[in-house]
Amino acid sequence: MHTARFIVLLLLASSQAVCALTLPSWLRFSQKSEAPAQPTLRRVSLGEFTGGTGGSARRAVLAALERASGLQLTTDRPDFLITGSSTGGRITGRVTAASGKKLLDRTYAAPGLDENAGAFADDVILTITGKPGLATSRIVFVSDRTGTPQVYLCDPEGREVLQVTHHAHGAVSPSLNPDATAVAYTSYKSGFPIVQWLDLGQGWERTVTDTPGSSFGAAFSPDGQRLALVMSFLGNPEVFVTDLSSNSAACVSDTTGVPSSPSWHPDGKQIIFSDDRGDGPRLYITEVPESSQAQASLVRWRTGHAFCTDPEFSPDGQQVAYTAQLRSGQAVIVKGWPSGPARVIQAGGAAHPSWSPDGRQLCYVQHGILYIHHLSTGQRRAILEKHGRISEPRWMK
Amino acid sequence: MHPARLLLLSTLPAVMVGCSWLPLPHALSPQPEPTVVYALGTREGFRSPLQEGNLRPACPALEFSGTTFRLSGAHRRTLEALAASWQEKKPRYLIAGYCQTGLPEDYARSLSERRAQAVRQHLIEHGVEAANLQTVGFGHDSTPSAPTSSVVVIYRQ
Repeated sequence: MHTARFIVLLLLASSQAVCALTLPSWLRFSQKSEAPAQPTLRRVSLGEFTGGTGGSARRAVLAALERASGLQLTTDRPDFLITGSSTGGRITGRVTAASGKKLLDRTYAAPGLDENAGAFADDVILTITGKPGLATSRIVFVSDRTGTPQVYLCDPEGREVLQVTHHAHGAVSPSLNPDATAVAYTSYKSGFPIVQWLDLGQGWERTVTDTPGSSFGAAFSPDGQRLALVMSFLGNPEVFVTDLSSNSAACVSDTTGVPSSPSWHPDGKQIIFSDDRGDGPRLYITEVPESSQAQASLVRWRTGHAFCTDPEFSPDGQQVAYTAQLRSGQAVIVKGWPSGPARVIQAGGAAHPSWSPDGRQLCYVQHGILYIHHLSTGQRRAILEKHGRISEPRWMK
Repeated sequence: MHPARLLLLSTLPAVMVGCSWLPLPHALSPQPEPTVVYALGTREGFRSPLQEGNLRPACPALEFSGTTFRLSGAHRRTLEALAASWQEKKPRYLIAGYCQTGLPEDYARSLSERRAQAVRQHLIEHGVEAANLQTVGFGHDSTPSAPTSSVVVIYRQ
């Protein structure tokens, strides 16, 4: 009797210990989901820009600042004053606090005035709000407008569209590194799916994996030094983390199912991916082992949806956006991590969400059109349409 | 009844209900899939249907419904006949998976590769040497030479 009582108590204690780790979100009474803090508006005054191209530079900076969140452009009691000068496309910009303290003073000397204005505006936004600006960020996506799927880049306004790949049999599944200087993608140029890495500045590319079977779904780690991807050379598809400097790879999933679309937590220590073990794709979280001997723990994340793919952590790591299959078709969902309510951001065929660098917007595709959706206002706009069928967007920097 | 026994009997159902949603320990959980998988050998010398359009299928395309990656009885019969005929000349086969459009792109790639691996596994279990088999999953990035798009096609090399 004593033994039986002991076993029951042990079972009770161990189940509570496991429950504490893996309770579904609706059972976690103790964890209150914090309401998102309302962003405070910073009052900013944009002063005159001197020099020959000063007028054009001021207009370009003004346009970028007007699109930014968290700033209020005003001349009435501003908290920050922006001034500058521009000659021949170069821009020297300054940000001064109301107290007179100089916060930013930098010269931008890239070949184009718009590029310099965007870089200055992003630095202004980062200095004032602490969140990255979007003017220099890029969205990478796949389009079939040439007849085969190829990788393209554009800015968040849907302008400056650049075709990155020209492979005869197509290139898919792209991912930008954190500073938008390199793209990793799956190429069919050898007739088989291999993962390649392309330096956008220098234009040279190298093969990351050319293993038997298939390789796809590459995602850069937050430090840009590693890739998470799916490879199947073991005899079944598994998620691997490969180190770009040493070309070593470690398996972080343990499945005989269908793993896909890995994505990193901003701390670089966890990866979320979709895995179908026979009952539809669900989301799993795995830890990235820090040494080759360490074990990776794997946890299934219960979202409440049966068909979840393409997950991506928000830049602050507090939320996950993913695609789920609802009765009305595919939908983009945002859910708090590790617990919190799930919000349908857009239904009716919207898919493959990706967070803006400041975490305030999502890009996704719906019926082949690329949209940007502002999460706090709920407003969305098509930034790129009539550009073939667009798929697999990823927004970086 | 002894109070301790009463407590035990009253808490046991609650514990069992509470734990029912927990995954079973590995040793107790059913394992429908074989735990032995055969790692792929080198891909050198295998030709892709993307580069050579005249590759001949070795048997009728194996059609899959929905998002399943389990082999049906019809699939098994086709593959067992193929494995028996393989013994004569011992050719090499490229097992290529394809998926229907409408599925998420990355999931479709993995699903088509998983189906191809299931076909490869079954051929190996029926006597085909693993080195003669290579798999690839195209998802819906390319279309097969088959009547439907949710298929596995076995190309003779």
